[in-house]
Amino acid sequence: MQTQTGALLHQAHMTTIEALQSLEEFLGANRKSPQVDDLVARKLKQLSRTLRSEVESHFSFEENHLFKAFVEQGETGIVTMLTHEHRSILPLAIQVADLAVAAADAGFTDASWGEFKDAGAELIEREIFHIQKEEMGLLAAISALLDPEADAAMADTYRSEVG
Amino acid sequence: MFPGSLMMGAKERLLPPSLPYRFFIAAVVFHMAAWATLLAAGPEAVLGFMGGQGLVLAALHMITLGTLAMSAMGASIQLLPVATRRPLGPLWAIRLMFWLYAPGVAVFVAGLGLAIPGAQHLGGALAVAGLTVFGGLVAANLRQVGDLPGVTRYTWMAVVSLAALAVLGLGLVVDFTKGFLPDHGAVAVTHAVLAGYGFMGMLALGFSTVLIPMFVLGSAVPDKLAKRSALASGIALTVAVVGVASGIGAVAALGAVLGLVAVGLHAHALSGTIKSRMKKRFEPFFRLVWVAVVLLPLGLLVGLALALGAPADPWATLWGFLLIFGWLLTFVTALLQRIMPFLASMHSSSLGGKPALLSRLAPKLPVDIHLACHTAALVLIAAAIIGGWTWPLWLGLVAGLAGSIAFGGFAIEVIRRYRTHMNAAAAANHEG
Repeated sequence: MQTQTGALLHQAHMTTIEALQSLEEFLGANRKSPQVDDLVARKLKQLSRTLRSEVESHFSFEENHLFKAFVEQGETGIVTMLTHEHRSILPLAIQVADLAVAAADAGFTDASWGEFKDAGAELIEREIFHIQKEEMGLLAAISALLDPEADAAMADTYRSEVG
Repeated sequence: MFPGSLMMGAKERLLPPSLPYRFFIAAVVFHMAAWATLLAAGPEAVLGFMGGQGLVLAALHMITLGTLAMSAMGASIQLLPVATRRPLGPLWAIRLMFWLYAPGVAVFVAGLGLAIPGAQHLGGALAVAGLTVFGGLVAANLRQVGDLPGVTRYTWMAVVSLAALAVLGLGLVVDFTKGFLPDHGAVAVTHAVLAGYGFMGMLALGFSTVLIPMFVLGSAVPDKLAKRSALASGIALTVAVVGVASGIGAVAALGAVLGLVAVGLHAHALSGTIKSRMKKRFEPFFRLVWVAVVLLPLGLLVGLALALGAPADPWATLWGFLLIFGWLLTFVTALLQRIMPFLASMHSSSLGGKPALLSRLAPKLPVDIHLACHTAALVLIAAAIIGGWTWPLWLGLVAGLAGSIAFGGFAIEVIRRYRTHMNAAAAANHEG
C-alpha cells in the first residue's frame, strides 16, 4: 500500500538518483579536469542543492521523526543500519556539494577535480546502495508500521521540514 | 507483512557469513570440477551422451547438485527469512544440512563417474538427507507466511518438486544395479524436468520477483501478476511432467507451450518493475541475466520440438544443455556475482566504520573473463551439439573451464577483500 510519507521519500530518492546518475555521466565523460562553462556551473550548483537537501533535511527528517516511530514499534535493526550509513554518507555528500559550488565559481584545478572525482564516485555508490535499502525496506515498512493517521501526520512533518 | 520487504529486518536476520558462504564456495568448486570432468570425458563422450553412468553424468550432477542446488540452498537460507520476515530455523540445522549435502554430493558424483554403486548409494542418501533438511526448513518457514505470493507460491512448487525429484533420483540410482524401473529413460527425463524447471526453475522465478526490483530500484511486482505467473508455471510444470512420465508427446508438447506462456507472464510481471526502475543503467551482472532470459524460452522451444518428434540425437542433448548450462547455470552465476559482494558489504560494518564499497569488494576483471568464456562456451558447445563437431566442443569445454576458474578467482577475491576490510576495522577498533 502506498503511503503519503513513502511517496514523498520516494520522490526525493528519484531526484537524488537522477542527480547521482547525472554526476556519474559527468565523471565518466571527463578523464581530466573539465572546463566549467555556464551550463556546467548551473549543473554543479543544482547538484550541490540536491545533495544538501538529501543529506541535511531528508536524513534529519528520517532520524528525528520516522526512525523514532520505527524504534517505538520494535524495528531497531534497520534503523541502526540506516543511521550508521547516514554517518558515512553525510560528510561525503557535504564534501562533494562544497567542491561542486567551488568549481561552479572558480572552475576545477587538477587537484580539485581529482578530489571531486574520487569523492563523487564513492558517494554515488554509497548513496545508491543506501537508497536501495530504503526503497526496499523502509518505504515498504511504513504502511505496515504506521496507521493512516500517523502516516498523514508524518507526511505533514516532512512537508513542513523538508519542503 | 507486505511485499517488497526484502531489506526490512535484514540486519537482524543476517546469518553468520560463514553459513551462506560455505555453500557458495562449494558451488564454485563444483563448477570448476564439472568443466574439468567434461574435458576429461572428452568431446565424443559429451556428443554421444544419452544418459548412463560415467564422467558426463557425474559432471552433469556436479552442476545440478553441486553448483545450482548448492547455490540455491546458500541463497535461500539467507534470502528467504529476510523476504518472509520469519526465521528459517536453528543454525545447527543449516550446518547439518551442509555437512550432509556437500560431502554427499562429492561421494555421489565420484560414484557416478567411476561407476561405484556403493558410493552412488551412500552419496545419494547423504545428499537427499541434506535436501530433506533444506526442504523441511523451507516448508516450515513458508507455513508461517500468508502473503508474498510471488515468492511463496513459487517456493512451495520448488519444495514439492524437490521431494519428487529426490524420490525419482534415488530410484534411478538403484535402477543402475537392480534394473527394476520399466522405463529408465522416461523416469530420467521426468527427474530432469522436475529438477530443472520444478526445483531450480521455480526458485529462480520466485526469487527474481524480489531480487530484480531491489537491484534495479523498481516498483514491486504486483501480487495479482505474481500469482498469475506462478499459477501458469505450476500448470505448465504439471502438464509437462505428466507428458514426459507417460511418454505422450502431445501432452509434453502442451506442457512446453504452457511453459512458454508462463515465461511470457513472468516477463510481463517484471516488465513494470524494469520500466519504473530508478537506476537507468543495469549493473554488470545483468549481462548474464539477459543471456539466461533468452536461453530459457529457447530451451523450451527445443523441448517442444523433441515432444513433437524431433530426433533425440542431437536435440535431447541440446535441450538438456540449454536448460542446465544455458538458463540455470548462467542465471545462478549472475546472482552469485551480485549476492556474494552484496552480503559481504552488509556484514562489513558489523565492527563499526564505513561499510565496504561493493566496487571494492567485487573485482571486475574475473567477472568479465567469466562472461566472455561462459558465453563462448555456450555458443561453441550448442553449435557442436547441433553439428556433431568435436573440435568446437573441445574449445567450448576449455572456454567453460577457463570461465569457471575466473569465477572461482572472483569468489576468492571477494572473500579476501572482505577479510582485509574486517581486519582493518578490527585494528581501528583496537586502536580507538
